[in-house]
Amino acid sequence: MHSLIQLSIVVLLLPLLSFVILIFFNRRLPRRGDFLGVGILGTAFAISAYIFWTVIVQTYDPAFKVAWDFTWIDLGKVPGIGPLQIKMGIVIDNLTAIMLAMVTLISLLVHLYSTGYMAGDKNYGRYFAFLGIFTFSMLGIVLSDNLFSIYIFWELVGLSSYLLIGFFFEKDSAADAQKKAFLANRVGDIGMWLGILILYSQFHTFSFDQIYANLAAGKFTMSNAWLTAAGILLFMGCVGKSAQFPLHIWLPDAMEGPTPVSALIHAATMVAAGVYFVARIFVLLTPDALHVIAFIGAFTAFMAATIAITQNDIKRVLAYSTVSQLGYMVLGLGVGAYSAALFHLVTHAFFKACLFLGSGAIIHAMHHEQDMRWMGGLRKHMPWTFATFTLATLALAGLPLTSGFMSKDAILAGAIGFANAEGGGVYYLIPVLGFFSAMLTAFYMGRQIWLVFFGESRTHLKPADNHHSAHHAHGDDHDTHGAHEVHEVSWNMRAPLVILAVLSVFIVYSPNPLDGAEGWFMKMIKTPATVVGPANHNCAVQPVKSAAPLMSEVLPSVAAHGATDSPAEAVSEHGTPKASEHTFADARQAEIAHAAHAAHFPAIYISSIMVVLGISLALVAYVFKIIDPDKTAETIRPLYLFSLNKWYWDEIYEATFIKGSVVLSKMLSWFDTNVIDGIVNGVAFIVKKVAFANNSFDKYVVDGLVNFTAFSVNTTGAVLRKFQTGKVQTYVVMLLVVVFGYFVFYFTRLIY
Amino acid sequence: MEHLIPIGLNHYLTISAFLFGFGLFAVMTRKNAIVVLMGVELILNAANINFLAFSKFNGGIAGVMFSLFIIVIAAAEAAIALAIVINIFKIFKSVDVSSIDTMKE
Repeated sequence: MHSLIQLSIVVLLLPLLSFVILIFFNRRLPRRGDFLGVGILGTAFAISAYIFWTVIVQTYDPAFKVAWDFTWIDLGKVPGIGPLQIKMGIVIDNLTAIMLAMVTLISLLVHLYSTGYMAGDKNYGRYFAFLGIFTFSMLGIVLSDNLFSIYIFWELVGLSSYLLIGFFFEKDSAADAQKKAFLANRVGDIGMWLGILILYSQFHTFSFDQIYANLAAGKFTMSNAWLTAAGILLFMGCVGKSAQFPLHIWLPDAMEGPTPVSALIHAATMVAAGVYFVARIFVLLTPDALHVIAFIGAFTAFMAATIAITQNDIKRVLAYSTVSQLGYMVLGLGVGAYSAALFHLVTHAFFKACLFLGSGAIIHAMHHEQDMRWMGGLRKHMPWTFATFTLATLALAGLPLTSGFMSKDAILAGAIGFANAEGGGVYYLIPVLGFFSAMLTAFYMGRQIWLVFFGESRTHLKPADNHHSAHHAHGDDHDTHGAHEVHEVSWNMRAPLVILAVLSVFIVYSPNPLDGAEGWFMKMIKTPATVVGPANHNCAVQPVKSAAPLMSEVLPSVAAHGATDSPAEAVSEHGTPKASEHTFADARQAEIAHAAHAAHFPAIYISSIMVVLGISLALVAYVFKIIDPDKTAETIRPLYLFSLNKWYWDEIYEATFIKGSVVLSKMLSWFDTNVIDGIVNGVAFIVKKVAFANNSFDKYVVDGLVNFTAFSVNTTGAVLRKFQTGKVQTYVVMLLVVVFGYFVFYFTRLIY
Repeated sequence: MEHLIPIGLNHYLTISAFLFGFGLFAVMTRKNAIVVLMGVELILNAANINFLAFSKFNGGIAGVMFSLFIIVIAAAEAAIALAIVINIFKIFKSVDVSSIDTMKE
C-alpha cells in the first residue's frame, strides 16, 4: 500500500473518530468536546496538507495517480445478475489531493468558527459530532474509486446534511427544510442509482477505471442512447446534491441550518460533491448528455441569479448565489471546460465559505437578525468582517485580481468555445446566459454589500410585529430588540474569515491574474479524454488511447495545424461524423478546448464589462439613488414578484408533484379501502361461510356419529341390564333355557 | 331272581338324571341358600354316578379318579359355601337368595 493511501485512510477515519467520540461522550468532556473536534480536524488537515504538498508541489505531474482497493463483499455469481463483487477502494490523484486539502481546511475553519458561533447552544456537543460525520462522508466521496462506495458516502452526506439542516429541529421551518432537502436529494439519488445499475449491468463492476476501460474498448453492448441515459441519470445525483434546476428548491430552505453549516455543507463542500461526481464520470458522458448538462447548468445559473437580486434574507441571497455558481460549474462541465469547472469549484468553495461565515458573523453580531433591510452601517462596527466579506464578494462577482475572476472566465471562455465549436445557434444561449448571470451576480452582491455595510443602521425601521422567530431556538438570551450593540466577532470567528479571504486572491492559484490556465491548478487538472464518442457503440471501432490520455497530448497536434484553418475544418468534420468515429471524441474536446483558448480574451472583456455593468447598476440604485429600487420594483411589479417568489417553483411543485402525490395517495387510499379491503373482506366472508359449513358438519355429522354410538351402546346396555337381576336362580333358569334352546336347535338340525 | 333283567348302564344314567333333575329343581326353586347348596350337592353326586357308571361299563380307572376328585371338591365347596352363607347371613340377616340382589345393576 502506498504511504499516501495509508495517510488518506487516516484522514478519512479521523472525522469518524471525532463523530463517535463526540456523539457518545460530549456531555462528559470539558467544553462538550469542541476542542476535540477542532483538534482532530486540525490533524486531518495537517495530513491532507502533507498529501497535497507531496502530490501537487513535489510530484507536480498532471497524470499522477495511486489507487488501492480491496474486496469488501464477494457474493460470487448471483443468479440472474451475474458476478457481484463489491470493492472498496481509494484513489489519489491531483483532484483528490486538492479536494482533500480543501474539504479538511474548510471543515477545520468551520469547526473553529463554530466554537464561537454555536457557543451556548444546548446541543453544542452533538453539533460537532454531526460536523464530524459530515466531514467523514465528504472525504469518502472524494477518495472513492468506485461508484458503489461513492453512492454509500453520497447517502451519508445526504444524511448528515439532513441532520444539520434540522439542527434547530424545534423550529417547524427547520424540520420542514430538512425533510425537503432529504426528499429532493432522494429524487436525484434514485436517478443516480439507476445510472449506476445501467453501467453495472453492462460491465459487472463498479470501479471507475474498469468501467472506463470497458467503455473505451467498446464493450458497451446497448445502444448509445442507453449510455447517454446512464450519463444523464448519474447526473441526476448531481442535480439533487448540487441543487441544479429541477431540484434546486431545497438549497435555499437549507439555510434554516446553523450558518457555519451553510458555509461548510451548502456552499463549499457537499453541494460541490455533485460537481465533483460529474467530473469523476466526465469521461463517460456522451456529447448528448453533456449538452443536457450544459443547458441545465446555464439555466440554473441564470434563474438563481435572477431570484437572488430580490431576496431580503442575507443567507438566502447567498444561497441563490450558490445555486447560481453551482450552475456555472455544471455549465462548465457540460461545455467541456473540465479544469475550469473544477477550478471554479475550489475557488468558489473558499470565497463562498468566507461569505457565509461572514454573514454568520453579521447574524451573530446582529443577534440573529437576517433581514438585510434592517441592517446597514455595519462597516464601522465590524471592520474585519467587512474587509473579508468585500474581498469574497469581489471574487464572487468576478472582478480581476480575484480567484473567482479566473475561474469564472475560464468557464465562460469554455462556453464561448463550446458554442463556436458546436456551430452556434441555440448553443450561444449558454454563454449568453452565463454572461448575463455574471452581471446579475455583480448586481446582487453589490446590493448586499451596500445594504449590509453601508449607509445608516436601519434596525429601528424594523416593524415591531415582524420579529424573527429565529433566535428562540438558540440557547442564548440576547434581547433582539434592545439597543443594538454591534461588535466585531471574536478571534475564533475572525481567523477563518481572514484565511478564506486570503485564499480568494488570484496569487494563490496563478501568477497571472488574467489567466488561470497559467496557474498550477489548471496545469494539474487536465481534461481527461472521453471514452465515448458519438458513435462509440459501433464495436468495430478500436480506441486509440484507453488509458485516459490527457488533453495536453492531444492539444499540440491540433493547435499546430489548427492555427490556420482548424476551426472551420473541425466544424466541417463535425458535420460528417462518419469519417473516423473514435478520434472524433477526442477531436471534439480538442476543438472545444482550442476554441475556448481562442475565446479567452473576448470572455475576459465581456465578463468584465458585465461585472462593471452590474456593479454600476448596484451603485446607481443603492448608493447614488439615481434609480429608486422600490419604484423600479413597482413599475415592473410582475417581474419583481416573479423573482421575489423564486419563479414560483415551490408553488409549481406544490401544485403538481405535491398535489399530485396527494391525489395519487387519495386514489390509492380509495383503492385500498374499496378494492383491497373488499378482497380481504370477501375472503373473510368466504372463510366465515366455509367455517360455518365445517362447523355444521362437525356438529351434526361427526358429533352425531359419536352421540349415536353412545346412544346405541346406552340403549343396548339398558336392554341387557334387564337380564342381570342379581338373582342366581334367574341365571340358572336362563342357563337351562339356553341349553334347552341348544338341544332344540341341535335336534332340529339332526332331524332335517 | 333270574327273571329280573341285569342292571345296565341306562339304569345308572336314569338314576343320575333324576338325581340331577332333583338337584337342579332344588337350585332353581328353593329360596333358602342352604337348600340351594344341597341341590348343588345332588347335582355333583349325579355327575359322580355318571362317571362311575361309565367307568364300570367302559373299563379303566379314569372315571373313579374323577369321582374321587369330585367328592373332595364337593367337600371343599361345601365348606367354603357354608362360610359364605354364614357371612351373607351376618350382613343381610337372611339366607333368602331371592332377596340378596344388590349386585343387580
